[in-house]
Amino acid sequence: MLVHRGVIQETKVGKANNPMSPNDNGFDPFDPTGLVKSMRDASLDAWSKMMVELVNTQAYAEAQGTMLDAWLSNSAPFRKGTENAINQTLANLNLPSREDITRLAERLTNIEMRLDDLDAKLDEALRGGQKPGKARQSRTGKEES
Amino acid sequence: MADTQLDSAAMNLPSLLDYCAELHKHAQKVHTFNRLLNTDAKIAQTPKECIWTLNKARLYRYVPVVPEGERHRIPLFLVFAIMNRPHVLDLRPGHSFVEYMVKKGYDVYLLDWGAPGPEDKNMKFDDYVLEYLPRAIRKFKSVAETDEFSMLGWCLGALISTMYAALRPDDGIRNLILLTAPLDFSEQEIGAFTRWTSNPAFNADRIVETLGNVPGEMIDSGAKLLKPIENYIGSYVALWDRIDNPKAAEGWHAMNTWVRDIIPMAGAAYQQLINELYKENRLMRGTMTLRGERVDLKRLRASVLNVIAEGDHITPPCQSEGVLNLVGSQDKTLFKVRGGHIGIMAGSGAEKNTWPHIETWLAERSK
Repeated sequence: MLVHRGVIQETKVGKANNPMSPNDNGFDPFDPTGLVKSMRDASLDAWSKMMVELVNTQAYAEAQGTMLDAWLSNSAPFRKGTENAINQTLANLNLPSREDITRLAERLTNIEMRLDDLDAKLDEALRGGQKPGKARQSRTGKEES
Repeated sequence: MADTQLDSAAMNLPSLLDYCAELHKHAQKVHTFNRLLNTDAKIAQTPKECIWTLNKARLYRYVPVVPEGERHRIPLFLVFAIMNRPHVLDLRPGHSFVEYMVKKGYDVYLLDWGAPGPEDKNMKFDDYVLEYLPRAIRKFKSVAETDEFSMLGWCLGALISTMYAALRPDDGIRNLILLTAPLDFSEQEIGAFTRWTSNPAFNADRIVETLGNVPGEMIDSGAKLLKPIENYIGSYVALWDRIDNPKAAEGWHAMNTWVRDIIPMAGAAYQQLINELYKENRLMRGTMTLRGERVDLKRLRASVLNVIAEGDHITPPCQSEGVLNLVGSQDKTLFKVRGGHIGIMAGSGAEKNTWPHIETWLAERSK
């Protein structure tokens, strides 16, 4: 197995060259805003390290899981209530519910799959038993950019 | 009045006019900042044609720019993750992996999974790997007029590609490139994602039961919380600092457009990812089954290039490294790059390091 490593000079992907990453300006004693900037960057760095350490702790994982679970449990009855009310309203108005549309979409996907099966068979028939690379297949779809 | 001006000049103090000019400059900066933050940049502009669709999935062929006789014989098939748009592979003209590979003479195809709707909440990896991908590959092989191909998978796209290559080794896959592939979850203490999801309090079943598909906002905030200061503050501070540099601002704008374009993840696939992979590490243990077929990594025989980002906080290197010891391939290469999960392919250093390395590796194996 071969192992390669990106050259340091060429792999400055993360920080300095990345427009999304903090600026790496040197400190200029004659620039008063430079001092503020350096202090800002230093404090952001410190906060960043602290927060990364925090989210990596077991306690954070536990708290996050519990909070998420609590939110899901508490919101479920609300969601169900709203859904029932909307479904009832739609039924009274003689309109299809979200579930009806979902079922229809599922059926459409099944039809699409059958069409794809037919397309595969048609491709095969057009090739006339030849291996791919021998016969030209027409392309569908329009150009996009 | 004249005396005041004289005094100000003598003491070398800024005049009211200077203050106004500075204020105007700042107002312009604020305006640009707002625009970059709230508008979409033009991304994914490399010309392409749609050659196949199924449900939300789309298969694109990029219009070749190199004459047919000079192109590489083996086409390249790109598979991106299922919870993001694939536009990051084609971010902007002059800084696009797709454009780079097309110019290098590859026939490039991209499978875009699309955004799942409520009707897709039961879609599992079984469907992605054994229903959608084989169909897309059949069409692609037919259009490309080839039996053999190279496949590049990124993040969960790499997971899907690996499972496919192991389950269908005779389907013509000759080269497999894995980018930051989350495959091995044996290290439960490394990586915040693993720590969060392996915690008993984290209940993926309840999330899916309540929400159906997992909302994009939830996945997005989960990813951002791995580095909260960088993602919620640092990124915007960096933009403010570089807003006078049009090239840097343009790059930030394009990346932000991609980051903001979030999509949900199919509920059943999310459940599988958390329960069977993050918690039980089934793929590496050899107990992963898709539609009753066991995914045996030893059956994977394609040449493999495994690209790992050393600073990846989403897929830590330990989640990708081990796979090379399990696959049955004879030709396998590990390439470690300094950078993060996205930065290694979309950062400004990518075109000088990651892309040429992938291209060189692939060119030797595309004859």
